[in-house]
Amino acid sequence: MKVYTSEEPVRSGGRIKVGIADYAVGTGCALLVTSGLGSCVGVALYDADAGVGGLAHAMLPEYDGSGDEAKYVDSVVPALLREMESAGADRGRITAKLAGGSEMFEFTAERGSIGRRNVEAARRSLAAVGIDVEREDVGGGHGRSLELRVDSGALRVRSADRGETTL
Amino acid sequence: MKLDVRSLRTFSRLAHTGAERAAGSLSTMTGIETYVDVTKVELCSREAVARRFQEQDLVSVKIGFDGGLEGTTVLAFPRDGAADLVETLMPGAGAEPGGDLAVSSLKEVGNIMIGGFIDGWADYLETTIDISTPTYVDVDGHEPLTAVDHGTEDQVLVFRNQLDSANDSANFYLYMAPTAGALDTIVSADGGADAVPLETFTSFSGMIAEGAEQASEDITMMTSTPTEVDVSRLSFVPVEGVPMAVEDDRRTGVVLEFEGMPSGYIAILFDEDSAENVAASLLPGAAEDAGAEMQQSAIQEIGNIITSGFLDGWANTLETTIEISPPTFVDDLGPAIIDPLVTDLAQSQEFAFLIDSTIRTEDDEFTCDIYALPNEHELRQALEQLAPA
Repeated sequence: MKVYTSEEPVRSGGRIKVGIADYAVGTGCALLVTSGLGSCVGVALYDADAGVGGLAHAMLPEYDGSGDEAKYVDSVVPALLREMESAGADRGRITAKLAGGSEMFEFTAERGSIGRRNVEAARRSLAAVGIDVEREDVGGGHGRSLELRVDSGALRVRSADRGETTL
Repeated sequence: MKLDVRSLRTFSRLAHTGAERAAGSLSTMTGIETYVDVTKVELCSREAVARRFQEQDLVSVKIGFDGGLEGTTVLAFPRDGAADLVETLMPGAGAEPGGDLAVSSLKEVGNIMIGGFIDGWADYLETTIDISTPTYVDVDGHEPLTAVDHGTEDQVLVFRNQLDSANDSANFYLYMAPTAGALDTIVSADGGADAVPLETFTSFSGMIAEGAEQASEDITMMTSTPTEVDVSRLSFVPVEGVPMAVEDDRRTGVVLEFEGMPSGYIAILFDEDSAENVAASLLPGAAEDAGAEMQQSAIQEIGNIITSGFLDGWANTLETTIEISPPTFVDDLGPAIIDPLVTDLAQSQEFAFLIDSTIRTEDDEFTCDIYALPNEHELRQALEQLAPA
């Protein structure tokens, strides 16, 4: 069962909220937003010609064979791509931007850094489907909130004390 | 009655799916895209539920249900949100929020949404559930609102769904409080193996409340400012729902890891004004030019004390030792602070026990939110040991 996944049809305008362990696709002048990325990673995909954008907010690097595919980087990337293709995007034209995957705390060492592993999984999953990562704002020790403008492909990254950057 | 984690998962999913149906009904009625933000299974006191309605100034529509399942559901809106919604449905009616037109329009919304919500439970239990005629309840009215008007227990289990609209115009809540008998029906339908008596959860919940009281006393002593516990509750939430329970604003505070049975994380967070004020009360005289470093060490110090006060009671009740790591100072977006903690737990659990308490001063000089996230498996084991054989 999918929990916290927006099972809405692709929308062509307005603000579309992407939750945690969630993804959404928009067209036209839609604005895809997600907030509170710590070690989670945000994957923004964009096809300028088709005017189709997609945003995923994944928590963990690898799908464990059960549960919600939107929670894991390596399963949400193909899912997001499929939904974008059915909205008219072409895989050959899609570019990617990544943000998030920070390492905010140093806890019990053996668990390893999930932030870094999430970013690596995103790069790997995108490479596997032949999509280039155009820009990224990853790592560090701070949280981020994202806004993807589907009409331009601009990804606005907001943080608490580092202001805003646009990728 | 008994509860087990599998049943809690079932409850959570049923409530979430039901709430999604309800949100869908509202979207169809109003054209406003509505979705379910967080679904929590909460164990809290009857009084706390009533107080939350009062403080948030909620107007609501209450519908009882019986037949295959018995209890109460309440659809609650902030006063302004209710007026806006009524205006969307029936232009003109929103101008007189408590008027007959507005009230009947809200009752209609309640009827349709709650109908959708309850249908999902009936399907799952393969039974028929009847719903009563909706009643409109205003916290300003004569009838004090309780989401729970059955039974006599102080601690009640409620399903709390937070719904939001895409344009943030309507944020509201859908509560469901089944009777104890109804909970038994659901637990049995789900197998009910390895269940822990509800009383064990209740006593754990009581222990959390005591921990919060202790933390409040400690803050009062340190800052010489009287504080009180505003909220203290135990909820069961899908891991990805936990950061959504924290406001999407900047927060300052500390994060600590605790090790033992159970292990887990604790975050103690202040909004920006509260952080300044609490540091100022801790460093009287040096407040204005104390500098970021002193403020940071004051916050760390208070975080340490609160954590000890909060967790000592757990260790005593669970007859165990809980070791606390040094505090890590944080100053970031609230959900981003909680995210790495939840993500770590998410590697081994789908749902989390979220303990959240709020301590505030009477004049709102500062508010302190405490979030504790024990490891689910370890907490369950600890609770099983607590349960009478």
